[in-house]
Amino acid sequence: MNPPPPAPDADAILSPVPRETLRAVLAMLVPPSPDRRMPGTADMPQLLRHVENVAAGLPAVRDGLAAIDHEAMSRYGTAFAALDHAARSDLLDEFAARQPAVLQRLGLEAVTCYYQQDDVIERLGLEARPPYPVGYQVPAGDLTLLDPVIARGKIYRDAS
Amino acid sequence: MNDPVDVLIIGAGASAAAFAWSMADTRMRILCLEQGDWVNASDYPATRRDWELRADADFSPDPNVRRRREDYPVNDEHSPISVLNFNGVGGGTILYAAHFPRLHPSDFRVRSLDGVADDWPISYSTLEPWYAINDHHMGVAGLAGDPAYPPHQPPLPPVPLGRLGETMARGFNRLGWHWWPSEIAIATREHEGRAPCINLGTCKVGCAQGAKGTVDITYWPLALRAGVKLKTRCRVREILVDDNDMAAGVVYYDSEGREQVQRAEVVVLACNGIGTPRLLLNSTSARFPHGLANRSGLVGKNLMMHPWAAVRGVFDAPLESQFGPQAVCILSQQFYETDPARGFVRGYNLQVTRGFGPVTTARTGHLRGDIPWGAGHHEAFARHFGRTIGVGVCCEDLPEECNTVTLDPTLTDSDGIPAPRITYRLADNSQRMIRHGLERAREALRAAGAVEILENPVPMRATGWHQLGTARMGTDPERSVVNEWGRSHDVRNLFIVDGSVFVTSGGVNPTPTIQAVALHVADTMKQRLANLFD
Repeated sequence: MNPPPPAPDADAILSPVPRETLRAVLAMLVPPSPDRRMPGTADMPQLLRHVENVAAGLPAVRDGLAAIDHEAMSRYGTAFAALDHAARSDLLDEFAARQPAVLQRLGLEAVTCYYQQDDVIERLGLEARPPYPVGYQVPAGDLTLLDPVIARGKIYRDAS
Repeated sequence: MNDPVDVLIIGAGASAAAFAWSMADTRMRILCLEQGDWVNASDYPATRRDWELRADADFSPDPNVRRRREDYPVNDEHSPISVLNFNGVGGGTILYAAHFPRLHPSDFRVRSLDGVADDWPISYSTLEPWYAINDHHMGVAGLAGDPAYPPHQPPLPPVPLGRLGETMARGFNRLGWHWWPSEIAIATREHEGRAPCINLGTCKVGCAQGAKGTVDITYWPLALRAGVKLKTRCRVREILVDDNDMAAGVVYYDSEGREQVQRAEVVVLACNGIGTPRLLLNSTSARFPHGLANRSGLVGKNLMMHPWAAVRGVFDAPLESQFGPQAVCILSQQFYETDPARGFVRGYNLQVTRGFGPVTTARTGHLRGDIPWGAGHHEAFARHFGRTIGVGVCCEDLPEECNTVTLDPTLTDSDGIPAPRITYRLADNSQRMIRHGLERAREALRAAGAVEILENPVPMRATGWHQLGTARMGTDPERSVVNEWGRSHDVRNLFIVDGSVFVTSGGVNPTPTIQAVALHVADTMKQRLANLFD
């Protein structure tokens, strides 16, 4: 049996510095699409609140955010959130290679929340609704494609 | 004190429901005890936007993840495949994909035809009438004329192929391989009061539409109207036995956790291939120190789970593959029957499965690395979402006594009843079969136009839906637990009607055969009522 994943404390919040680090990390994880058709996670306050709650409740993720900021300070003399895109990208790539679990968890929370946003769903060309009760249309398909299968005949073995 | 009953059924899943419906016309006092509850259709995840996530939470098929009060834990640390189930009225049918293929005539004669395992004491022709009756009650969609089977007529038209099915059909045709629209217990038009499928794509977290053939809405309403009683939240601890080796009833915990005794003339086990041996092994006594009905020593042995492996193809064209019944839309049985040239005996089928919703696409892509974070995220997501097709390899699993269900020495359920422990390994034959099947699956996807193949671990862990063989059927009391009509060799008023009685697994999803066996057992019992215990 696998142990259940640690449950974040729903009421936890981050202090301002790690919150800004988190916001900057999220902006890198799911940025806007190059054509701007799809928004980035940094533009979604609801998503930020959700991931912040998760991050605040998980010591490993909190420590990871602190480590990212510490790395930025020691390497560039400034907070991660103040770095330009190229520096953030380099730093995160290196951090992900060393500690993949932190960004994997943050990324998982981010995409999970991102792909439930109405705006995102609609920009994907879908309706922002639960499947039930309207459902979906699926074409029946061309059953004449079975003709060669039928022509080849029986393939099961007889056995009484 | 509960009033004694004539027939006591334990479990309210696929086999129990079919059995109860069949026995109802005897007008005997029939009672079913189920450890779970009814599922309210309005609770199904399809009614909510977060439906995809609930497959990893309260509607997970894994009891160790789901952790509802009515679930019992399963120690599956010693198995590469984890056990999946659902505990409630409807059992596994609540969360199954409703893929509904029959076994083949050759599946009942593996010793005679292929020199392995054992023949069943019954045949395809024994079950054929029960398959047909069951297809009607469950509402099976399909297309007559499949050259992989003896002729039969599914009662409902097939589920839609969609662009996904057509794409794979063309791939199979290019290779000259068999394929056919899968038989699926999903109402494709109104059927027996059930609404038709509207392609929710949520089958594996429950069908809010009521189109999927789950026995809480098929057999159980009929059985209850005919007088069968069903008590939920009643968890059986052990089966009682008297000095004449006859089952006397059961001890169970009711919804308040109070210990109760229910006396019965006949006890019928329908708890699946894990729950049934667990209960028998928990029912020890001076006369049965190694578990009830276990003088053969075979209770809990020969566990078969259908090893499953799968690859997924990525296509350039949009397929809208996330919509439609999640069960297999088409099936290839090109490699089902034995061909010694392949290096293994028996065979497998290739099951073409739908794509995923947006959240699952993003989550699995993120975890696998196929859909990275950063600048390439949106391009990768667009390349995968609605454009993937899965091809699964469902292998016949031959019985081996080393694959077992035993009692865990420390793990218990919420009532303190010892939980099952699974010890299971993949046989060499299965591993060769999987390798062959995966290569054929890749070949089929490429022939259909896949531009990329996504691999998975082998076997895939969370695939242990089919739990078979742990109280096998046979005519020899030393080599089997029940006889050819489900009666225990050791306890003449104890019957088993679930997948435990399978002698071999075949290579297809077992629910229609489990139910056909249950109907066969019920019919045989009704014919022998005057001398049932002789």
